Amino acid sequence: MKTQRIMGMAWESMKQRKLRTSLTTLGVVIGITAIISLASLGEGFRLDVKQQLQSGFELNNLTVIPGSLFAGYSRTGFSDQQLDDVAAIPGVEVATGVMQIGNVTLYNGNKTVTAFVATAVNFTDFVKIFQDRFIFESGNAPENNSDDAIVIGYKVNHSGDNSSAFAEAGDYVTVAMNVPQLPTGFTVQNQTFRVSGTLQRRGTSGITNFDYWVFLPLKTVREMYHINQSDLIFVKVKDQQESEAIADKIENHLGHFKVTVLVPLAFIKQVDNILNIVQIFLLAVAAISLIVAGIGIMNITMVSVMERTREIGILKAIGAKDRTVLGIFLSEALITGIIGGVIGIITGYGLSYTLAYILSSMIHTQQTNTILQTPETHQTLAVTPVFSPEWTAVAFVFAIAVSVIFGLYPARKAAKLDPVQALRYE
Amino acid sequence: MEAILEAHNVKKTYYLGSVPVHALRGVSFDVKPGEFLTIYGPSGSGKSTLLHLLGCLDKPDDGRIILDGQDVLKLNSNELAEVRLKKISFVFQFYNLLPRLSAQQNVELPLVIAGIPEKEAEARAVEMLRLVGVEHRAKHRPYELSGGEQQRVAIARALVNKPKIVFADEPTGNLDTKAGQEIITLMKKLNMENGQTFVVITHDPKIAEVADRMIFLRDGLIEDIRTPSTRRNMS
Repeated sequence: MKTQRIMGMAWESMKQRKLRTSLTTLGVVIGITAIISLASLGEGFRLDVKQQLQSGFELNNLTVIPGSLFAGYSRTGFSDQQLDDVAAIPGVEVATGVMQIGNVTLYNGNKTVTAFVATAVNFTDFVKIFQDRFIFESGNAPENNSDDAIVIGYKVNHSGDNSSAFAEAGDYVTVAMNVPQLPTGFTVQNQTFRVSGTLQRRGTSGITNFDYWVFLPLKTVREMYHINQSDLIFVKVKDQQESEAIADKIENHLGHFKVTVLVPLAFIKQVDNILNIVQIFLLAVAAISLIVAGIGIMNITMVSVMERTREIGILKAIGAKDRTVLGIFLSEALITGIIGGVIGIITGYGLSYTLAYILSSMIHTQQTNTILQTPETHQTLAVTPVFSPEWTAVAFVFAIAVSVIFGLYPARKAAKLDPVQALRYE
Repeated sequence: MEAILEAHNVKKTYYLGSVPVHALRGVSFDVKPGEFLTIYGPSGSGKSTLLHLLGCLDKPDDGRIILDGQDVLKLNSNELAEVRLKKISFVFQFYNLLPRLSAQQNVELPLVIAGIPEKEAEARAVEMLRLVGVEHRAKHRPYELSGGEQQRVAIARALVNKPKIVFADEPTGNLDTKAGQEIITLMKKLNMENGQTFVVITHDPKIAEVADRMIFLRDGLIEDIRTPSTRRNMS
């Protein structure tokens, strides 16, 4: 018997049991809808998070911290020789050392402001590394590292209730610093600097937020503190793909467990891995619903075989081979899989967009404002479903496979029926 | 004349639970081409079992069945299906038409299974329905037909593949006298005019009247075989 006619017979018989056929198909539809929508939303979410992380982290930049977080923190810092060695590693574009000097107070006439993070930098190199963040509200970066000039972050310059800015480029401000006084203790030293520039609001990038920072000239600060070491080294690599290899080289050179190199790319890879695992987990849950649908198909085909036992007997008496009978019942399962798969894919697409819309409107900008988190970090997470032809094909094939596999047992049962027994069946 | 069907010492035992039922205890006879043979016997005599065995729906425990020169015991289930499709067909007491299909589709079914192209199958089915006199009911479903009409459709279905033998199991058993007589007349006409071989299991003495030979079966054994001449002599 021709396959086409077998399929035709199966389809006719399904049409005559509309409600039953619809309910069986619904099971497959739900399973496929779940798979498609979870896959597309998961992928969309993953890409969105990845993109936000990539735009937040400067992927070309590495941060070298003295000591190892768990092998003992060290305050030794880096010598200029070590800094030069790092800068000489192939693939490194710029390496610059900075000195963190804690909080300082700034005075401009009768205006006072406290900056929590005061960092002494070599402006020429530092700006090369963070050029995307050095967008000026007024003025620009000091051109010479020996200039007694500073740059003020946005939140320092616009702190508190002051509606006006604390300072503008060209102003002279006094900075009060806690300078160590040997043998023990600190003394407050005042130093006047020209304001070279004030920064625009920028928000958090990676784990730092320059809005709260004040940048002082490294040369001057070193002289005041009598220190010839850097607390941190910032490195810019030429190719972000090499960042992990270069981080290894830095660690090798400076000594294992003596330094920690923060590699944004590695961090993003880990987050991406985690999101991948979450996505696979969600898909596994969705797959379970399709298995349940498969059991539904099996159940209904069993009932169908029982109801049509006599019919099977007649077909066999007329001369239908076992495989013809198998084909008729398997075709019904196959048709259920195909229809359920197609409808499931369409409703899956629909549901993805609906859920994406609901999710996006639920994730609002948080109004927290801390040293690490500013409103700018919480850009609205607009989840857009991402449909891949591969996933759609996999879901479709899965629908058919589950239907046929679960239809196989009852269809075989039908095919193996003894014609005499089947004809006697009431 | 060469027999078209031979049964040699055919035996069959069923088990109802663990109790053996000796349905056939060694039955031997043959069927000639163009013959109208009836198998007569009370219930439990083994008639239906014999029909199932001759019709290749079941296999005997012992003995041989030669159909058209072929030993059917040596065939596997696919080959038996092929024999049922090409060489034999059935007419049942309860018609056994597929309720979802129209009369014509029911008649087409063996052709469809045989893989005959749609157009040809249709034409042959219509022709058969005309032959049995229900062409005007071709598009009706079985439940819209009378018993006699349904049995005519069943006969059309049995003949459409041009079988060597048609096996009929109590073909008039579910019909009133008039419809029953019509079916007997139709079968005899097909037998006389087309040379169609019939093996009919029956209780109905009217069928026995038109038979070329009658086999009397009792307790799984042939009690008697009569031809029309012996029948006439008896009466």
